Amino acid sequence: MSDEELPERAVTPESDGVPESAGAPERAETPGHSGAPEPDDAPARPGKTLPPEVPAAPALDAGPAKPAPGETGRQRLLAGLWPPRLSRAQLIVALLLFVLGLGLAIQVRSTSDSGALRGARQEDLVRILTELDNRTQRLQDEKRRLETQRSELETSSNQAEEARKQTEQKAQQLGVLAGTVAAQGPGINLTIADPKGGLEADKLLDTLQELRAAGAEAIQINDVRVVADTYFTQGSDGIEIDGHKVVQPYRFKVIGNPQDLEPALNIPGGVVQTLKKEQATADVVRSEKIVVDALRPSKQPDYARSSSQ
Amino acid sequence: MIAVLGLVVGVVVGLVVRPVVPTVVEPYLPIAVVAALDAVFGGLRAMLDGIFDDKVFVVSFLSNVVVAALIVFLGDKLGVGAQLSTGVVVVLGIRIFSNAAAIRRHVFRA
Repeated sequence: MSDEELPERAVTPESDGVPESAGAPERAETPGHSGAPEPDDAPARPGKTLPPEVPAAPALDAGPAKPAPGETGRQRLLAGLWPPRLSRAQLIVALLLFVLGLGLAIQVRSTSDSGALRGARQEDLVRILTELDNRTQRLQDEKRRLETQRSELETSSNQAEEARKQTEQKAQQLGVLAGTVAAQGPGINLTIADPKGGLEADKLLDTLQELRAAGAEAIQINDVRVVADTYFTQGSDGIEIDGHKVVQPYRFKVIGNPQDLEPALNIPGGVVQTLKKEQATADVVRSEKIVVDALRPSKQPDYARSSSQ
Repeated sequence: MIAVLGLVVGVVVGLVVRPVVPTVVEPYLPIAVVAALDAVFGGLRAMLDGIFDDKVFVVSFLSNVVVAALIVFLGDKLGVGAQLSTGVVVVLGIRIFSNAAAIRRHVFRA
């Protein structure tokens, strides 16, 4: 290295040594900047560098390129380059340059292939890490919030579904009671034949009450669905139920427990015996499937409103 | 010639083998490389001046690397590692430039 070499050798022959190390570059640059021509530089260089060179030269065993003092730098360079000489100096320099090349390649590779974090300093890394932590925290919070929201929605939608089902069920039950939907189930068929025509409406009402007392859930007489506000009228030309004229035989379709309904009609002094006294015949048949399909329109009450809403 | 071959072989080996740098050395490697570059340019200039000495070159090379690494180490310990390595790189860069100027004068005579 010239800067260090120069002073070491220059110290003895010339007091120029110290300035040489710092001054050589200056001299090299000053002319370049000021535009001072080469002649100034060229003579100055041999003038100052040669003196150290001459006494030093014999002391050096290396001197890879120094055949003649008058040789130019370019010649020395070429001479050092081409005929490859296997000298100790060359080997040592080659070793050091090998290390340099190795370090260079490693550094270039590690800088180029490992992203921005590789060269970052500790404070930057800490800052980046903190930012990432915060970000993670925020995202975790958001995730938790969204999960809570999702489970709430699921619960509420489940609840809504459940409520809807219950409402539907209730509507069905109430529809059966109100006669707005058809019903089916086990029960009995009761047929009252009255060929003489002596049967009056109150007997049918008694029969109906007996059936209701025995647990009948849905009742249809001929084509008329019997509900809570069903009424019987004894007209001049026959019996009307809810304003519809019915003619004998009167066919009751009753859904309920057959084991309860049948005995309730047949008990001594019950409906069947009473009807017989009236010259009518009552025929009770159990059935596993009674279909009550006479409907009545659903009616919106005009004044009464549910108080639960 | 052999020296140039050594450099080429070093680069090739470094690229091919991909050695893993120990973490302890890692922060000092770039500065050390720059310091070594400075030493190499100085040596080249000395050769062109005809005053090359391998002993001096070796010593300056090693001391450059060690001192550069030491400065960075000290800087890290003092908490001014970044600034100090910048300073070292600047100084070494200036030296490399001046040496390169001298080399250019020798080779191109301009």
